[in-house]
Amino acid sequence: MARDVSNAHSRPAAPLGPDESRAAAEMRLTPRQCAVALLLVATLFYVIPQAWERLEPLPMGPRYRIPYRLGNDYWQYARACRAATAGGDQTLFIGDSVIWGHYVSTDGTLTHHLNEQVGGDRFRNLGLDGIHPVALAGLVESYGSAIQGRHVVVNCNLLWTSSPRHDLSADKEFSFNHPDLVPQFQPWIGCYRASLSHRIGAAVSRRLPFLSWADHVRIAYFDSTDLAAWTFEHPYDNPLAALRAGLPSPDEPPLPSPDARPWSDKQIQPLTPGWVTLDDSLQWRFFRETLRRLSERGNRVFVLVGPFNEHMLTAAGRQGYDELKRGVDRWLTEQGVPHYVPPALASEHYADASHPTADGYAALARGLLAEPAFAEFQGDVRMARSDQ
Amino acid sequence: MLFHTWTFLVFFAVFYPVYLLVKGTRLKLPWLLAASYLFYGWWNPIYLVLIVWSTTVDYLAVVGMANTRWKKPWLALSLVNNLGLLGFFKYGQFVVDNVNALAGWLGLPLALANPQVRFLSQAVNGLLYALGFEPAVPEFDYLLPVGISFFVFQSMSYTIDYYRGDVQFEPNYVRYATFVSLFPQLVAGPIERASNLLPQLYGTPRITRDDVSDGVFLFFVGLFKKIALADYLARYVDPIYASPGDYQAPALVLATMAFAWQIYFDFSGYTDMARGIGRLMGIRLMLNFYHPYLATGLGDFWRRWHISLSTWFKDYVYVPLGGNRGGEFHTYRNMVLTMLISGLWHGAMWTFIVWGAIHAVGRALTRALEQTAFYEQRVPRLAKQVVTFVIVCFAWVFFRAHSVGDAWLILRRIASCELADPALPLLLAALVVSIWGYQYLWESRLSEVLTRPAVRVALLVGMIVYLAAVVTSSDQAFIYFQF
Repeated sequence: MARDVSNAHSRPAAPLGPDESRAAAEMRLTPRQCAVALLLVATLFYVIPQAWERLEPLPMGPRYRIPYRLGNDYWQYARACRAATAGGDQTLFIGDSVIWGHYVSTDGTLTHHLNEQVGGDRFRNLGLDGIHPVALAGLVESYGSAIQGRHVVVNCNLLWTSSPRHDLSADKEFSFNHPDLVPQFQPWIGCYRASLSHRIGAAVSRRLPFLSWADHVRIAYFDSTDLAAWTFEHPYDNPLAALRAGLPSPDEPPLPSPDARPWSDKQIQPLTPGWVTLDDSLQWRFFRETLRRLSERGNRVFVLVGPFNEHMLTAAGRQGYDELKRGVDRWLTEQGVPHYVPPALASEHYADASHPTADGYAALARGLLAEPAFAEFQGDVRMARSDQ
Repeated sequence: MLFHTWTFLVFFAVFYPVYLLVKGTRLKLPWLLAASYLFYGWWNPIYLVLIVWSTTVDYLAVVGMANTRWKKPWLALSLVNNLGLLGFFKYGQFVVDNVNALAGWLGLPLALANPQVRFLSQAVNGLLYALGFEPAVPEFDYLLPVGISFFVFQSMSYTIDYYRGDVQFEPNYVRYATFVSLFPQLVAGPIERASNLLPQLYGTPRITRDDVSDGVFLFFVGLFKKIALADYLARYVDPIYASPGDYQAPALVLATMAFAWQIYFDFSGYTDMARGIGRLMGIRLMLNFYHPYLATGLGDFWRRWHISLSTWFKDYVYVPLGGNRGGEFHTYRNMVLTMLISGLWHGAMWTFIVWGAIHAVGRALTRALEQTAFYEQRVPRLAKQVVTFVIVCFAWVFFRAHSVGDAWLILRRIASCELADPALPLLLAALVVSIWGYQYLWESRLSEVLTRPAVRVALLVGMIVYLAAVVTSSDQAFIYFQF
């Protein structure tokens, strides 16, 4: 057998057409140039989002809420959190579309009615449409770091435990809101079947503000699509001109425009949800995780449970709901978390299973302000204000 | 596993530090081989059966040749095995379809059965079961292993080179298997020769700071070509070629030109990334593309396009057929045959064969012209480049079309000169024109401008920021994976 001779592969490499050294020189950086380039990239990654935040106007005010079109724009959410916590001592409301106000304009939301009834700018709406508790935990963790040392009201919407599907505890794959905010690896969510690459990308995006900012530009100015797709819709337009359009208005209604009539006018039949017990519920687990994270950041947390449209439930459905409600109440009491479990609003004050109408929000605001636990919670705010 | 996915980034982030630690030890080759097999098996674990089979048979063939005076049977074993693998997995369905169609046309009572690969998954599942595991491999009837044409050619070139006495025997099976499966170039080349790659797998690879900076630059250039350019162009090309009857001449002409650039960016982007990863590992892979659309003739084009394949065909098909040694007729015959086989290599469809035939005829018609003093000295360079680009684009119509019928439809509609808004995004056109301009400048006397450090740094920074800010993640496979 021939001997192993490492340098005996004597045949020269195949002859190449072009001058390889010339071709190689085309793509060559010295190590120093490479280091300078990577340093510049890192600087730009840091500077661009900050500069953009200063240049892009954000009309933050008592009636502000995240515009519907920016519902997946987490960079904007982080920015809104920073703006909402800059200076004032307003109580922040976080949660899903019940807080955001799916069926109402900005002058019909819960925070607006609260501000109106107390006469001032004391409550801020940081709700996000479609944000279920698993995603909310990710949102607070990655984009809500500005919420520190504040009074925070968190909405607990038991709609998210009304079926294994809503609860994300089903094994069958389906699409749900805000997939990039749910845990990508641990715990493993059976109904979430994204590719490994997508999961890693989502996890990285949550840690790199530049990537979130890039998403912001896409969502806010390029119809929620990437620049390439946008240019096919507008082949002869200047993409830079699109950046002059400005951010969408918080008053812009969802698409399709929701039917704001009371639920009973929409021929909706009573339901018997397949409630998931609290012990088995993934959403409840992550709701508690959100409370823990907010408390760790020095926030004082208040929980608003509901309001759920009990009129839309059958007797069996209501029995399951009552059990869940009692379980939540018991746990919050045990943990010493101030909370309010409002009685069901009048039937005509619901637009669907969980969203109040504008009148419903007004009634809920009255109920909340009359609740001693909330008054005590708010008293802390006033005390803090008088201390200043 | 695709280079431009987060999965690969994690894979490489785990692989590379360990590689740096073990590169001077006996663990280097096992680690490279394990990583390469993981990389390849990520698509489908069944693929590993094929690559291990191909590697082992070729290794045994060379062992056989090294131990006997009768080398031909061993070479035949290697060729039959490799071409058999290609024939079954890549061309089996094509042959069956065409034989059955021909038999039907002739009225013969003949119907070949479709090639089935279910036995592969059954064998692997049987093995798993015997080892006490649950059968885990899904069963499927049809399989076209990613990159089979690449690793089969690479492996086969070693047995041919050994037969010719051009390379020495490689006794280490793990080193040989690593040569066949080295992950940066496994699925889409460059198709390396044993004489270039095997020596680099000996000893401790020397990784200099220049290797790292060149590797990083090459990788980002490739990434930019793939996801900022090729995938962008694909969005214009795909719908037009999916239903060419719905489009008029301007859109069809622009889509064909766009495809020419798409396939260049896609394939050369892959090889740039492969070469960049290789450099990071201290391994130099061969150049595979060099500004093909600045070629001044078809011969020049094939010296710039898929260089590793065209040199492979030259060394293992054209030269063995006789090359240019038997006079004009034999030279042209060998050239045409080589181009036809090259077309068939790309895929089991008539469109690829026609594509090869167009290049063969084009090369045959222009070869003599390109060698004349008039063409070389009197025809303006830009005119030669434009004419070559037009011929290459004409051939791409057949390469990209779903069928020969579609290709004719496209050419007829282009010839009709009916006009309609092609809706080609200006940004896309601007990007392609700027790349063409960059390449043109690089080959001009003003190329020094592009070598200035500020320009180089600005290019790299611009590419990375553009990728991060503008491009969404892509999981679109490379075009050449199907070959």
